[in-house]
Amino acid sequence: MTIDAKAAKDPSLVERWIEDQREWQKTAMAYLDSMVKNDDFLVHLGNAMRGSLLAGKPYPTAPASPPAQEAPPDDRLDRVLFALHEMQGQLTDLRLTLDELRNGGKGSRVARAKKPTSAKATVRKAKPRPRARAGKAGKSGKARRRG
Amino acid sequence: MSTSEDEQERELEALLELSRRGRAKLERLHEVLTTPGHYGTGATPSQVVYRENKLRLLRLLDEHGQPRAGRPAVLFVPAPVSRYFIVDLLPGRSFAGHVAAAGFDVFVIDFGTPTNEDRYADLPYYVDGLVRRSVRMVSTITGQPAINVVGYCLGGTLSLLYAALYPDTVARLVLLTTMVDGDVQGGIAWVAHRMGLEGESYDNPRLVPAAEVKSWFEMLAPGSNSLVGRVSDLWERLDDPAARLRDVRTMSTWVDDVVPAPGRLLAELYRQFGPGRNGLMKGTSSIGNRVVELAAVRMPVLSVSAEKDAIAPPEGVDAIVQVVPHAEVLRLPGGHVGIVAGRTAAALWQRTVEFLATSRG
Repeated sequence: MTIDAKAAKDPSLVERWIEDQREWQKTAMAYLDSMVKNDDFLVHLGNAMRGSLLAGKPYPTAPASPPAQEAPPDDRLDRVLFALHEMQGQLTDLRLTLDELRNGGKGSRVARAKKPTSAKATVRKAKPRPRARAGKAGKSGKARRRG
Repeated sequence: MSTSEDEQERELEALLELSRRGRAKLERLHEVLTTPGHYGTGATPSQVVYRENKLRLLRLLDEHGQPRAGRPAVLFVPAPVSRYFIVDLLPGRSFAGHVAAAGFDVFVIDFGTPTNEDRYADLPYYVDGLVRRSVRMVSTITGQPAINVVGYCLGGTLSLLYAALYPDTVARLVLLTTMVDGDVQGGIAWVAHRMGLEGESYDNPRLVPAAEVKSWFEMLAPGSNSLVGRVSDLWERLDDPAARLRDVRTMSTWVDDVVPAPGRLLAELYRQFGPGRNGLMKGTSSIGNRVVELAAVRMPVLSVSAEKDAIAPPEGVDAIVQVVPHAEVLRLPGGHVGIVAGRTAAALWQRTVEFLATSRG
């Protein structure tokens, strides 16, 4: 192949620059298209701009103002909600125990899981610790004991 | 063509190449960001067999969508301050999936994401509540009075405490990167200590924001707490093939998706196990009004540490032999996450299966 023929076949630098610009336009359009069609894409792109490939949620960032160190002034609703969660667990324990009792000895060893299996060997009473503050309404008995 | 023109052309060629490579990276990023994958969902098919508050107890299913009933039960207890799916990351890179495929009926606890009212959750709520009921549920479902428990990181601490209180319900105990000696310097406990964990109030707890919990972990990984460092790392990674980037994305989704933490739990962990307290080594830890005696841990125990663990230093993990002398200690090359879900994790998976299998029959 002569030099002239090779030059005619290979695109010039200018032509390659133009082609590169076209490719950039395609890339930009692909991003724009995804931004419009895919709600999650913006979140994921934002995460990538923070250097993270985290999917499904925004990258965790500290709130604009520092979090208050104290609990909200009126936390009764949260205390009640959490006490309900504890009761949910206790009801599950009750149901499991009843099932085991209904099944006779079959589930008796499982039932023992509710109490320490070898209480004498494994557990001794902890010394009561002084409470820093009395528990509030909505806290279960177990939680109120904590100091 | 003159020398000057040659130089100009070379510079333009270099710029063109730079442009082409930058565009290729952005195209690869676009492909990764728009391709579905195992992001935050776990890799192995499962069914929810129990729910309580935010907790879900998952039972892994076989290739026919059926539970592996009749096989020895294994319960995975991940750390409640991160997402559960680190033990079930990707097809072919799932610790729990590997154990299930080896012939075990595998259950995994997903503690979920705490919300504001969960700031009151304390150690008894997790150990004597969520973990104990999960074990009970597994025992009830499988009919096995004692099951195998595999705890990871803080999940290992919960598992160890549970096993001390209810030893007859645990057939074998595997602890992965679980700190026992809180006085060993380094790791997340010391970082949290320096960052003010001792300031968490037990009586008026707050829900510690995910970003704050994450900042403690970032302190242990130089570069990850810098925006410039993270973006630079990602830009370099974009030269990798898209398939590899999807794996990286799955791992990033775990690393960066730290959940908020109940302030009461953190306050109690610090008071009991933090630097200077060291309740597990001193025998002073308690759950509710009961002292935990590690001498009660009589079942076979395998404790695994990672040589390059910046979160749970291996010396603090291996110290378990001082309080549970019969524990088998295994130190593997790798880091805190790598030994569980990295490319070299197969060594841990295989040893765990061997350890669990010896209890059969």
